[in-house]
Amino acid sequence: MYDNDERPRRVVITGLGTVTSIGLGVEAFLEGLRAGRSGAKPITAFDTTGFAHANGCEVDDFDPAEWIHQVDPEELGRATQFSVAAANLAVADSGLTPEELRRRRALVSVGTTDAESRDLDTLMGVQLEYGPDQLAPTVARRAQAGRLSTGIIRELGLVDVEALTIPTACAAGNYAIGSGFDAIRDGEVDVALCGGADAVCRKTFAGFYRLGTIAPEVCQPFDKDRKGILTGEGAGILLMESLDSALARGARIHAEVLGYGLNCDAHHPVAPDRDSLARCMEIAHRNAGVKPEDIDFISAHGTGTRANDVTEAGAIRQVFATPPPTISIKSMIGHSMGAASALASAACALALTEGFIPPTINHRETDPECGLDCVPNEARPAELNVVQNNALAFAGNNAVLVLGRYREAE
Amino acid sequence: MTTTKHVDAEGRATIKGIICDILEIDEAEMTDTSRFKEDHEADSMGAIEILSQLERAFGIDIDQAELARMVNLEGVVTVVDEAVAAKAAASL
Amino acid sequence: MSELVLSAWSVVSPYGVGSAPFSAGIGAGTSAVGELDRAAWPGPFDRCGLVPDFTAAEYVGKKGTRTMDRVTAIAVTAVGRLLASCGDELTAHPEQIGLVLGTGSGSVQSIMDFTRDSLVGERPYHVDPARFPNTVMNRAAGQSAIWHGIKGPNTTVAGGWLTGLLALSYAVRLHRGGHCARVLCGAAEEYSTQRAWLEWHGRGVEERESPLGEGGAVFLMETVADAREAGRTPLARVLATRFRAYADRADAQKTLAECVGSALDKAGVAPEDIRLVAPLGAGAELAAPEEAGIEDALGTARPRWIRCRPLLGDTSAASTSLQLAAVLATAGESGLGPGEAALVTGIDRDGTVGCAVLGGPARA
Repeated sequence: MYDNDERPRRVVITGLGTVTSIGLGVEAFLEGLRAGRSGAKPITAFDTTGFAHANGCEVDDFDPAEWIHQVDPEELGRATQFSVAAANLAVADSGLTPEELRRRRALVSVGTTDAESRDLDTLMGVQLEYGPDQLAPTVARRAQAGRLSTGIIRELGLVDVEALTIPTACAAGNYAIGSGFDAIRDGEVDVALCGGADAVCRKTFAGFYRLGTIAPEVCQPFDKDRKGILTGEGAGILLMESLDSALARGARIHAEVLGYGLNCDAHHPVAPDRDSLARCMEIAHRNAGVKPEDIDFISAHGTGTRANDVTEAGAIRQVFATPPPTISIKSMIGHSMGAASALASAACALALTEGFIPPTINHRETDPECGLDCVPNEARPAELNVVQNNALAFAGNNAVLVLGRYREAE
Repeated sequence: MTTTKHVDAEGRATIKGIICDILEIDEAEMTDTSRFKEDHEADSMGAIEILSQLERAFGIDIDQAELARMVNLEGVVTVVDEAVAAKAAASL
Repeated sequence: MSELVLSAWSVVSPYGVGSAPFSAGIGAGTSAVGELDRAAWPGPFDRCGLVPDFTAAEYVGKKGTRTMDRVTAIAVTAVGRLLASCGDELTAHPEQIGLVLGTGSGSVQSIMDFTRDSLVGERPYHVDPARFPNTVMNRAAGQSAIWHGIKGPNTTVAGGWLTGLLALSYAVRLHRGGHCARVLCGAAEEYSTQRAWLEWHGRGVEERESPLGEGGAVFLMETVADAREAGRTPLARVLATRFRAYADRADAQKTLAECVGSALDKAGVAPEDIRLVAPLGAGAELAAPEEAGIEDALGTARPRWIRCRPLLGDTSAASTSLQLAAVLATAGESGLGPGEAALVTGIDRDGTVGCAVLGGPARA
């Protein structure tokens, strides 16, 4: 089951596919991260009349026909369109041809918070106006969480494949990547396409707005004047394979997946728990075989709400004697829900190879209660070896992923 | 009991009913000044839920900053009274 | 590598709450699909496999369940009954217990009700904040963990009819990766008027009338050594799960046959050792190729077939977990016998197929 030497395989990321509010495709995403670009603008996904403020981070230049080639985009909800487009981009980035990909046993796992809740919003609108017997069959059929992963299979024509959607809310991307990591490490599959996807929808905006957690203008993680999240959307899909497989085909390696940790606060539906999150980081370090002092920067969950940032910063200080720089790309792309930790993982991989720490933008004054170096407003050049990506979700579902730079000499 | 201009006895009973329903306690357990968090085990979600249901029941808007005052029945009645007054003033 | 066994299980089904009525109903082959009370359940269907008299207040308790939706209550109940049947020792180290729960798309009723409140309310934010977590698809798994204090990995899995098989596969991987010592694994689905309408519109005309069902099943997965130490009988070894995909419906039969063949190879099980087969038996066009594909893979073997679909209705995301439970119900208290194996299969309309092979203790 294992490679020749009977040890678990090393797992590397060789393809990145990103659909974000600051750029489509990995080049644009990288450029956005370096420049500290903001995706914030007024929401157009639904009628925002009646909300005192309604900014978000939407992907506003996405033409599905440009990115999806085999499946009729009409058969896919917006989140699945993002998921499929990101998978296509990841495969292209990996240099694997579709034929080579189809010959390998694959795992496809896509995390999400809302799956096609945007379609469910639409269907409710129709239902209110015309009655429940008038819902469109195409929309009813595609409004299924499972589609986020099976859409990728249909597009890529995969055959020997296991496809699951992981709707573990806002930590789902890390859950999905972790699952792919385990599957490759044990030789269960040859290649894994994993990440997360979500689309902006009224339901989730209204919910966070009601909780008083939507920022009026911009997202300011760790700032003393932070006012909350901006709902966002997009998809991040990572193509992973064993190191041996990548070396054999001469693939470019973005980063190595060193390990991950999961746990559950089992405490409160929406309020995070500091001790439990700290434990999750320790679990991840153990699984990855690293120590806190090895971590060169943390990509935080960093939503920009009062509760999250202070709890997360506290947990980090609990685990790290001297916390490393801790940033949040949600300042740039908003909270893309199930895509969030997948896109943050992609950002971490790019940071490792390109040698920079992405900034936390919209930053004026660090909240002393957080007390972290959040790399304010401008990207920072840095020689990086190991980075950590935090994700938290409703119900206290924590997931921490550890990535490392791959060096050929090793 | 503080007298209020816009919330009558019936309105007060409605408010108490809403809060007790959310906190899952018997109305007899709640006094005008017993504190939701300390005495009735309310959490942050309970507080925002109370605000939300009152907005819908009375057709008013309550700023989330008012949560700081909405710590017991007395405080909530005062906040609702002011919000009803503000609504009445706005419709003049 | 430490192989996992199923050593305890719990079911909430149209036969009632608990494994006893389920075992009796599956054993007798009596259908639990009945007339729907149309006043309580408007919508396109008048028959359904409804869990009788099930409410959160009745089965989970009055306290803290005011806003709990039906699928969450089914999951919390199933997980609670499983834990209760195992004793306190199981949760002595709650951070070492994982929970993997399958769902369709959470509760579409909760999600769409929330949107309705936003659309029809005086203000678009006049929604009930306490119900917001119900609209997020990890609610049932998360609330089960909160309710029962399970602090290990907590993962929600979705994959249409194959959900239960995918949850099983994910749980095995999670354990093998060293993320937990034991895993609770299963799936839950609720009946709701909103789900009924979505199914009605989403289905092809030929399968449209087929009644829906609801329910949930949860299994305890642990190593043989852990089961024995706790005094539990290993009921079945999880030998293999396997999945494949087809682009054309005409290939569904062949794809499932390959999938089953590959799983049997991995499990090291000969077709003639398969004693029990529990197929999904889904919608009109897929049931026949499923049975034919299984027969292609099993050749001359003559297993006993357990067909849940006519008994329970279409339980969607809970289907394959309930099929797995039906295998354990049929195997009885001592589980699968030495050298015996069982097969659970499914073909999804989305172009995916999957199966699991379970086995009794290795033949001496």
